[in-house]
Amino acid sequence: MVVLDPGHGGTDTGARGAGGAVEKDVVLNFARITRAELERQGFRVVMTRNDDSNPSYDERAAIANAHRDAVFVSLHVSSTGAPGNARVYSYRFSMGVPATSASNGLVAWNEAQQPYVDASHRLADILQIELAQRFAGSPALSIAVPVRELRSVAAPAVAIEISSVSVADPNSLTAFAPPLVTAIARGLTIYRPAIPIGAP
Amino acid sequence: MPRNLRIVLAILGAAVLVGLISLHSLNQRVEQFAETKVSDEQARRDLLAQPISTSSDAKVKASIFWAAGADKTTPVEVELDLSSNPTQRAKQVLRALVTDPPTPEQRTLPADATLLGFYILSDGTAIADFSQALASETPSGILSEEIAVNSIVQTLQGNVSSLRRLKILIHGQEVDTLAGHVDLTGFFDLSSPAQPGAAPGSAVSGPAAAGSSANSTSTAAAPQPRR
Repeated sequence: MVVLDPGHGGTDTGARGAGGAVEKDVVLNFARITRAELERQGFRVVMTRNDDSNPSYDERAAIANAHRDAVFVSLHVSSTGAPGNARVYSYRFSMGVPATSASNGLVAWNEAQQPYVDASHRLADILQIELAQRFAGSPALSIAVPVRELRSVAAPAVAIEISSVSVADPNSLTAFAPPLVTAIARGLTIYRPAIPIGAP
Repeated sequence: MPRNLRIVLAILGAAVLVGLISLHSLNQRVEQFAETKVSDEQARRDLLAQPISTSSDAKVKASIFWAAGADKTTPVEVELDLSSNPTQRAKQVLRALVTDPPTPEQRTLPADATLLGFYILSDGTAIADFSQALASETPSGILSEEIAVNSIVQTLQGNVSSLRRLKILIHGQEVDTLAGHVDLTGFFDLSSPAQPGAAPGSAVSGPAAAGSSANSTSTAAAPQPRR
């Protein structure tokens, strides 16, 4: 199950460009196109939102956490940077968060991503390699950043950020959809055999 | 023209005149209020941005981490008067980080952001309380927010010893994210030395869950760069 998460929504517009591009709308469009292609290739897909709503971080995570074989992909567009770069992020914990929070093996909701950090980083690297082949100037490998949306996801989870809403013509961002979709589909296909079933 | 009509017209004319005078006066007062508000905010900013001097200040070469390109921070050596008191020293280097970037391209934090307070708890936890401008004027985006947070964390790591971890507050409040992406609900590790020129994500570590961090040790807290 692929959980596609278009960032922001509703009153949370995300990044806004002087040319009129609005992150929440661009990523929703990306997510819809990605969903159609992934389903065509046989993936099961759900979206955390398919309209101009703004689910909370916990509600977004809960959609992924309801499935035992989910992969969470959050989509974002930056407000800065030269248009046409793609970066993938996995979550980064620190300060000695234990692998499990309790002796009974239960993991605290706020630390749900902790057991999946390595799996997420592997997925992020695979996606980054695929994206770098299609978005010139993108980094070769992913980096780990504490992206809030990923923290409570109990599944491999990444955030992809495309640059940027600074384009003069908002419609020009649509041109990034095909290479983005292809990269995500190829990355998930490569990763799929390694998707853990249940807790790792 | 009948006398009554002349009287009514005269009264109406007087009323219009009084109304116009009142409107003009009201407009002037509104403008005065607006000017006063701007000057108050400017005064607050100026006050908070004042150089911080203490009796223990000594000229030292400080490493301030500003942006180096779109996706990195790098230390720049600047000569600053720094206090031996860790709290004052932290305020001094963070003030320099906000106010003195060598070029606009190297800026990592909004020029309007001010450090409202800086506190160090007995367990080495540092709390940096920034004004709302840090959240509202940092460009929204994963990379831009990460650069902003990294510059704060690395500048503290590079210049103030004895700090273990950092909590960033916005106007006295804990917030979910800096500007919609980077998690500010936990703590940032300050116990590892700043790594010059490191890409975001490898030099500093992300927030830990507030509930579990109290049990962590500084050894466990030390991040291992992923690559």
